[in-house]
Amino acid sequence: MTIVIEVRNVASGAVLKMELDPADKIYDIIESAAEYWNKDAGAYVLKKGKKLLHGSETVAEANLVTNDVVEMIPDPEGGI
Amino acid sequence: MTDLSAGYQDKDRYDRQRRIDWIDMDGIFQSKILVAGAGALGNEVVKNLVLSGFRHIDVVDMDEIVLSNLNRCLFFRDSDVKKIPKAVAVANKASELSPDAYVYPIVGKVQDIQTWDYDIVIGCLDNILARMHVNSHACYHGIPYIDGATDGMRGKVNAVLPGGPCLQCTMNKSHIREMEKRFSCTGDAVMFVPHLASDVTTTSVVAAIQVREAMKIASRRYDLCIRNVCYYDGTAGDMFILEVTTDPNCPNHEVQK
Repeated sequence: MTIVIEVRNVASGAVLKMELDPADKIYDIIESAAEYWNKDAGAYVLKKGKKLLHGSETVAEANLVTNDVVEMIPDPEGGI
Repeated sequence: MTDLSAGYQDKDRYDRQRRIDWIDMDGIFQSKILVAGAGALGNEVVKNLVLSGFRHIDVVDMDEIVLSNLNRCLFFRDSDVKKIPKAVAVANKASELSPDAYVYPIVGKVQDIQTWDYDIVIGCLDNILARMHVNSHACYHGIPYIDGATDGMRGKVNAVLPGGPCLQCTMNKSHIREMEKRFSCTGDAVMFVPHLASDVTTTSVVAAIQVREAMKIASRRYDLCIRNVCYYDGTAGDMFILEVTTDPNCPNHEVQK
């Protein structure tokens, strides 16, 4: 059974609705959203509430349900 | 024998810091710290460490100073450009901040470090591969690892405590993809590190959080440490903390001592 969630781009505030299968991975959400928003290459993480979601988790394992809102955050890499 | 001398409050370098009730100055004095990276974050971190009372600090970095470092690196001077390794400049100048601090430069790659006999490791690196290397060594040896990272006005601090989720637990395929891009397409063992946006205000905030976490660990106040990653957005003036759980697929937790 598919579910529909909202993905919010923390950098721009943009929001999209995404249809998911319970077997989809969290990383699939990141990759699809990044491509949809034409994001520059970079690393991202996804959070739900105050919890960071593991990329290898499935949608079912992450307990995502319809109408959940997840936020995509650019993950900084620099330091020099 | 008297109970005190007049004006004693101003005769102790750390008097004001000792007034913070959870701080253990002896723990700070005795801790041995590795700072991986002597760039923008490394400069700020070492400055904060020395001023906070840390006395045993190794700084590792393989690079020389270039002119574009000078907008955000406290210890670098125009006269150092192309002449002095970053680690040496940081060690020399930082030692001037406190007569009790011993800051030792290691000019080389963090991957060359053989002996991990540190109480705390602080990551001030510029690429995911080096972070994963330091993270895995810290995890294996049970050393707390405080990783900092910036990109323009954004920053983050990961506090990796022994037995808890590690830096790699927060990563996904987008990190691996970025890591792979850093290698030369010729197949040579050459790393390409892009010039990311960087400013001293974001660097200062991230470095301050890193050293504050080190002070908590040195004071044996693990209960006060960030759980587990702090994100900072300087443009919005926003900061939030995200909880991370141990990734069952993370290889570091299979080999942890």
